[in-house]
Amino acid sequence: MNSPYELEFSVAGEDFLAAGEGSNRVKETLKMLGIASDFCRRASIITYEAEMNLVIHARGGTVHVEICPEQLVLTTIDEGPGIEDVELAMQEGYSTAPDHIREMGFGAGMGLSNIKRNADDLAIDSRPGEGTTLRAVVRFAQGKGGIA
Amino acid sequence: MGHGVKIFNAACKGCVNCIKSCPTEAIRVVDGRVRIIPELCIDCGECLRTCTKKALGMDEDDWDTLRTAGDLQVMSDPTLYAQLGSYRRPGVVRDALSHFGVREVASEVPLAYDVGAYAIARALEEAEPGRKPLISTYCPAIVRLVQVRFPELLPRLVPVESPLEIAGQIWRRDHRDSNLTLVAPCPAKITLVREPVGREKSSFTSVVAVKRVTRDLLASGATAEVPQKPMENIRWLMWALRGGETRHVTQFLDRPVKTMVVSGLRNTLDLLQELELGHLPGVDYVECRVCDLGCIGGIGNAETRFLSEIRLRELPVRWELTEHEFGEVQELYDQGIWKLKVSPRATQSRTLGKNVAESMNRLQKLKKVYDELPHIDCGACGRPTCHALAEDIVRGEGEVTDCIFKLRDRISTLAREIADLSGHVPHTLRNREED
Ligand code: SF4
Ligand code: SF4
Repeated sequence: MNSPYELEFSVAGEDFLAAGEGSNRVKETLKMLGIASDFCRRASIITYEAEMNLVIHARGGTVHVEICPEQLVLTTIDEGPGIEDVELAMQEGYSTAPDHIREMGFGAGMGLSNIKRNADDLAIDSRPGEGTTLRAVVRFAQGKGGIA
Repeated sequence: MGHGVKIFNAACKGCVNCIKSCPTEAIRVVDGRVRIIPELCIDCGECLRTCTKKALGMDEDDWDTLRTAGDLQVMSDPTLYAQLGSYRRPGVVRDALSHFGVREVASEVPLAYDVGAYAIARALEEAEPGRKPLISTYCPAIVRLVQVRFPELLPRLVPVESPLEIAGQIWRRDHRDSNLTLVAPCPAKITLVREPVGREKSSFTSVVAVKRVTRDLLASGATAEVPQKPMENIRWLMWALRGGETRHVTQFLDRPVKTMVVSGLRNTLDLLQELELGHLPGVDYVECRVCDLGCIGGIGNAETRFLSEIRLRELPVRWELTEHEFGEVQELYDQGIWKLKVSPRATQSRTLGKNVAESMNRLQKLKKVYDELPHIDCGACGRPTCHALAEDIVRGEGEVTDCIFKLRDRISTLAREIADLSGHVPHTLRNREED
């Protein structure tokens, strides 16, 4: 039995240019393992959106990725403002992004719904005023829309 | 694999400049030799641009041999006609070439480009919204880049053959066994001939660089009469310039579509990345070229892309087709001559091991090796990044001491040991010293 492979990186708040590096690393790592491309795509979308959430809403945070032969677990931890209503935040188009960020074309309220669409499991633990922990899972064998 | 890039080992000085330029990290300099990992190379030609020692070149056929063998028939990429101010009209180039025994058989080409553009327009009209934007397949380096680095985007490649191949096929109908040489602006179009994607075999039998032919045209001093009659159908020449393809395609669309034109390697990579993440909603078609300004920026051209651009922009182009022309296009379209026979597949990715478990093991090892490296990506080890070196090491294709910093560490450890040892007194002398 292999021990899981772990990746960890921190994301700075409002650093739009850096977001995406993590998702690239995740994708490259999965490719080296020979994980089918559909799963690579889903994992990289989830990572990217999670990174973006840290950039836009949470003033930064850390991303932790754990990869096993069976699945990938992504966890983000931040000490941002937290989410008032998780249900609502997951709806497509719902956004609390401030105007100056929306003007740049970000924060259209697709992030969480996009993560949900691509993850096999998603759990969000958020405390307003304290921060948010998000955990998303992609299962490589029987997961959503994947080829076994 | 029949790639478009050739290595001249004797000229290589081991400067490792090329390894940094490669968008797919396909180059290594190991044991004093440049090596290209064939399944990663997309034939973009970036390494050729960077190498000042001429250790990398286009793997074209020998123009002099082809020429002296006689009865040479060539078909050219549109870029050829933008190389020399005086030869801007295909008919004039044809004349000039015939002066030194080369037959240019371009008559099928304009029609083939019309058919290609028409087929793309139809594909755009038929594609479901979820499959858009469709991506142009005109630049073979882009097709390979998608195969190697963005396999998720393969279904978006428009299933239309390169118009050059369409033209070759039309010509082949009457010339079954003849030879046909493509005049190409880049290594990618050499690969189009040698190792096509989307079809079994190319209609071309050999391929040479635009540069070669242009030089001969210049040296021959051949002058051709500039005909007074109106310009022939030259819509196709515009495909050499960024945006030309899109302009041609929109000619065949009734409704407006949102198109995006991108050229240059950096821009292309950015664009594909955005597309992969599912961004850019609402875009219908993406025309991208790895070369700046389009194919006139190809490394195999003689003229600078800036001048070629001006020349092409000055040409009076008639975009509307005559009824007769349109009839011909429709007929060829119905015959399906434009279709890519085989859908491009993902390039088998270079996994670390034979299966996921072995790959996981090596990945853990890779992490350890990588953590020990200095992470400055200096390239002195002959790999583009420290990560690539770590990867080569776990694959058994490199040593930790290929890293000059690790080598220095080893030397200093060794030096300390030597210093230590030098303090030791030979045992034969030991007693005497104690006395
Ligand atoms: S042609 Fe492009 S992909 Fe191939 S080795 Fe050179 S730089 Fe890399
Ligand atoms: S843009 Fe044109 S010249 Fe450049 S690599 Fe692609 S096909 Fe070749």
